[in-house]
Amino acid sequence: MEAQTVPLAGFDDKPALPPWLLAPTAALMLLTLYLVFDWVSTEATMGIVQRIFYFHVPAAMVSFLACFVGGVASICYLVTRDQKYDDLSLAANESIVVFESVNIVMGSLWARPVWGIWWTWDARLTSSFVLLFLYAAYLMVRRASPVESRAAVCAVICILGMLDVPLIYMSNRLFRTQHPAPVLGGGQNSGLAPDMLKTFLVACVSMVLVWWCVLRVRRRVARLDRAVEDLTRRAHELVDAGSIRL
Amino acid sequence: MMKNLSWLFYAYGAGWLLIFGYLFWIGRRERHLRHKVAELHELLNEKWTKTRK
Repeated sequence: MEAQTVPLAGFDDKPALPPWLLAPTAALMLLTLYLVFDWVSTEATMGIVQRIFYFHVPAAMVSFLACFVGGVASICYLVTRDQKYDDLSLAANESIVVFESVNIVMGSLWARPVWGIWWTWDARLTSSFVLLFLYAAYLMVRRASPVESRAAVCAVICILGMLDVPLIYMSNRLFRTQHPAPVLGGGQNSGLAPDMLKTFLVACVSMVLVWWCVLRVRRRVARLDRAVEDLTRRAHELVDAGSIRL
Repeated sequence: MMKNLSWLFYAYGAGWLLIFGYLFWIGRRERHLRHKVAELHELLNEKWTKTRK
């Protein structure tokens, strides 16, 4: 019974978001919102709008983490040709588009009241914009490529995309333009007040957990996509072999 | 100090909208794909059984 043994990768009933992940993510995100909106002290120069920082920066950091995960998964795929790494790479790379968009949109809504402009082509903003478009292009190439060569082509683009991350990180260290100097790891005059640092660290952990949830859900969908492709291919093979008539 | 409060809410609102919007879209896609996999599997089994008969 060949047709009944068609592999159903990803077609299981296990939840993509198990309670051991969902519960701490929700709890920590609520704690973050409490800390950001009620607990942390207000920054002296920019006022209350500076609190955008506690989501804007973690979203960027999560994008960098996703670039690293996607890049490593792509290398693993090129070495092993195991589809599970391609699924992970796709999930990580799509999450970059989401979290980098969060970073850029929140940054823009912060820039408007503080700088008086929505956007400027300075080094940090431009390199972040390039990262967003690079991974949006990755998704378009993935859709357009033939199934057989798709994963390998995308793996190469993804590894190239990973190279933009150090450029973004160094951009406001090397070029002093509109974007502020780094507040963490930025030299002698950088740093955060203790309560701000605590809030920032909690926000970073909760953003990583949110990203992990997104990654798991997207990887499940990637497996299901592959299951549909597998089933369609098997159906054509069975029709061609004369085993079934459609 | 509080004059830019609305910008803070716009920014957090936009951030959450993007994340939840994406999760909603992914959830819909998962439901659609699960349905498609079940449909294809059922069709293959049915055709297999009919052809054998």
